[in-house]
Amino acid sequence: MVGDWGRLSGGWDNLVIFFNESLWPPDWSILEAQSYPVCDQEVELFCSVAWLGMVETIKIAFVATALGFVFALPLSVLAANNLSPLWMAIPARIILAAMRSLPSIIWAVLFMIIFDVGTLAGIFAMTFYTVGYLGKLQFESMEGLKNAPLEVAKAMGMTRAETAWYIALPESANNLLSHLMFMFEYNVRHGTVIGLVGAGGIGLYINTYLKLTQYDKVVALLIVVFIVVVIIDFLSMAIRSTVTEEGDVQRPSWSTIFLPASISSKYHTTPMKYNSSKEDE
Amino acid sequence: MKSIQQPVEMKFMNEVLAHLHDVSIGYDTPLIEGINVEISEGDVIAILGPSGIGKTTLLRTISGLIRPLSGEIELAIPSRGGLGYIPQRLGLVGNLSVRANVSMGARVRTSRWWPAVFPLPKEFEEDITKAMQHLGIEDIADQPVRILSGGQQRRVATARTVAQKPKLVLADEFLGELDDDNVEVVMSTVRATIRSQNSALIMVEHHEELAKEVANRIWRIKDGKLIEEVVA
Repeated sequence: MVGDWGRLSGGWDNLVIFFNESLWPPDWSILEAQSYPVCDQEVELFCSVAWLGMVETIKIAFVATALGFVFALPLSVLAANNLSPLWMAIPARIILAAMRSLPSIIWAVLFMIIFDVGTLAGIFAMTFYTVGYLGKLQFESMEGLKNAPLEVAKAMGMTRAETAWYIALPESANNLLSHLMFMFEYNVRHGTVIGLVGAGGIGLYINTYLKLTQYDKVVALLIVVFIVVVIIDFLSMAIRSTVTEEGDVQRPSWSTIFLPASISSKYHTTPMKYNSSKEDE
Repeated sequence: MKSIQQPVEMKFMNEVLAHLHDVSIGYDTPLIEGINVEISEGDVIAILGPSGIGKTTLLRTISGLIRPLSGEIELAIPSRGGLGYIPQRLGLVGNLSVRANVSMGARVRTSRWWPAVFPLPKEFEEDITKAMQHLGIEDIADQPVRILSGGQQRRVATARTVAQKPKLVLADEFLGELDDDNVEVVMSTVRATIRSQNSALIMVEHHEELAKEVANRIWRIKDGKLIEEVVA
C-alpha cells in the first residue's frame, strides 16, 4: 500500500541477509561439467552449464545480429531522408518502428507459437527486434553524414545505389560498426531474457535456477554474461579502429604530458603512423 | 535578301554547353540577379569577387544542387557523368582509399544500370591509374584519404574529376592549399582533360593574378551583378 512506510522496516536487513545467504558467494559449480550427459571433452569447462548456455546464446545473438544487419541496412538507406525521397523514407521508417515497437520477448512468444520452444524462435525474435532497432540507429547516423560528398555524387549523376554503397556506407562505417557491435552485445545480454521464455541459451539455465531459488548460481551466470559483454566491448574497439582517426594517431603518453617537449621527444618521435608518406605542402 | 557569308571558323565553332537565361540566384534573398551567359566548349572561366557575394552559390546553382530563384538554366550535357564538381570541401570519402575515391569519377561514365557493387570495366581502371599518375598520387593509391594532407586531398579530388572526363567542370577554390609546383601540375592536368574532352571549366578563384593567368574568360561579381571582363 502506498504510504505504508512500515513495510520498509527491516528492508535493508532483509536485503543483506538475502545477499549473504542466497546470492554471495556465487556458486561456480556452473563452470563444472554437468553430471548428465557424460562429458567427452578434455576440458571440463566445455561441458559446463555456463559454457553450453553462453555458447548457445552467442550463436543465437550472432546469427540474429548478422541476419538483422542484412535486412536493416537496405531499410536504413531507404529511411534516411538525405539518401531517399520522402515517399520511400516514410514507409521504411514505419516498418522499422513497427519492428522495434514489440520488445524481443513478445516476438519470442509469437515465434514460439509458430516454431515451438527452442533456439529457432529465439533467433527469429532477436532478428526482428534487431532490424527495427539497428535500422533506426543506422539511418540516423547516415542522416548525420557530411553534405559535401553527397552533393558531389548528386552533381556527378551517381545513382542512389551508388551513393549509398560508395559514400553513405563508408562514411558512416564507424557508426555502423559501433551499432552492429552494440547490437550483438545487446542480443547477448538479451539472450538471458529471451531464454526465460524458453527460447534457448543461457537464459534457459538462469530461468531454471531462478525457479529452483538457486540464486548463487544465477549470480555466477550473470557474471559470465558480464565478462562476455566486456570482451565484446574490446572487440568493438579493435574492429572500429580500422575506420576511425583514433587508429591513425599514436596515443599521447604520460611522459609527453608531464615532461618538457625536449625530453619527451627523445622517447616519442612519431606522432603519425603515416608520417613517411605525408608531404609538407 | 541580304546574304551573310559565314566565316570558315563557324564550322568548327564550339558548342554551347550551358545557357543561363535571366537567372537570379540566392537562398532567401537574391545574391546575383539577371545573369545571362553562355558557356561553350573550351571555355576556362574564373569567377572573381569578395567572400559571401554568391560565387559558390552560382556554382551550386549551375550544378543543379539548388534551384535558381528565377530564370532558366539549360544544360546540354549528359545528366550522368556530364558534370564534374569539386566543392571547396572536396567531398571526398575519408574512409575509402585514394583509388576508390578516384574510381567514383570513372563509375559515372558507366550506364546507370551498371550494378553499384560490380567492378569497373578494365579500360576504366586504366583511366583511373593514369589520372592518379598525372597528379602524382599513385604512390598513395591505397591509403585512406582521411590521413592525407590538404594539398594531397585536393589532388585526389582533381583526379576524380579527370577520371570522370566530364563536359563541364565546376571547381570551387580547388587550387587553394597547393604550392606553386602543384598548382602547375593540377592546372596542366585539368587543361589537358578539358582539351581532350572539349569540355569547359568554371572555377571560383580568390587569386586574381592566377585567375587571369589560367582563364580565357573572367566573370566578376559586383553589386549583385555578374560582369564579364575582357581578358587581355
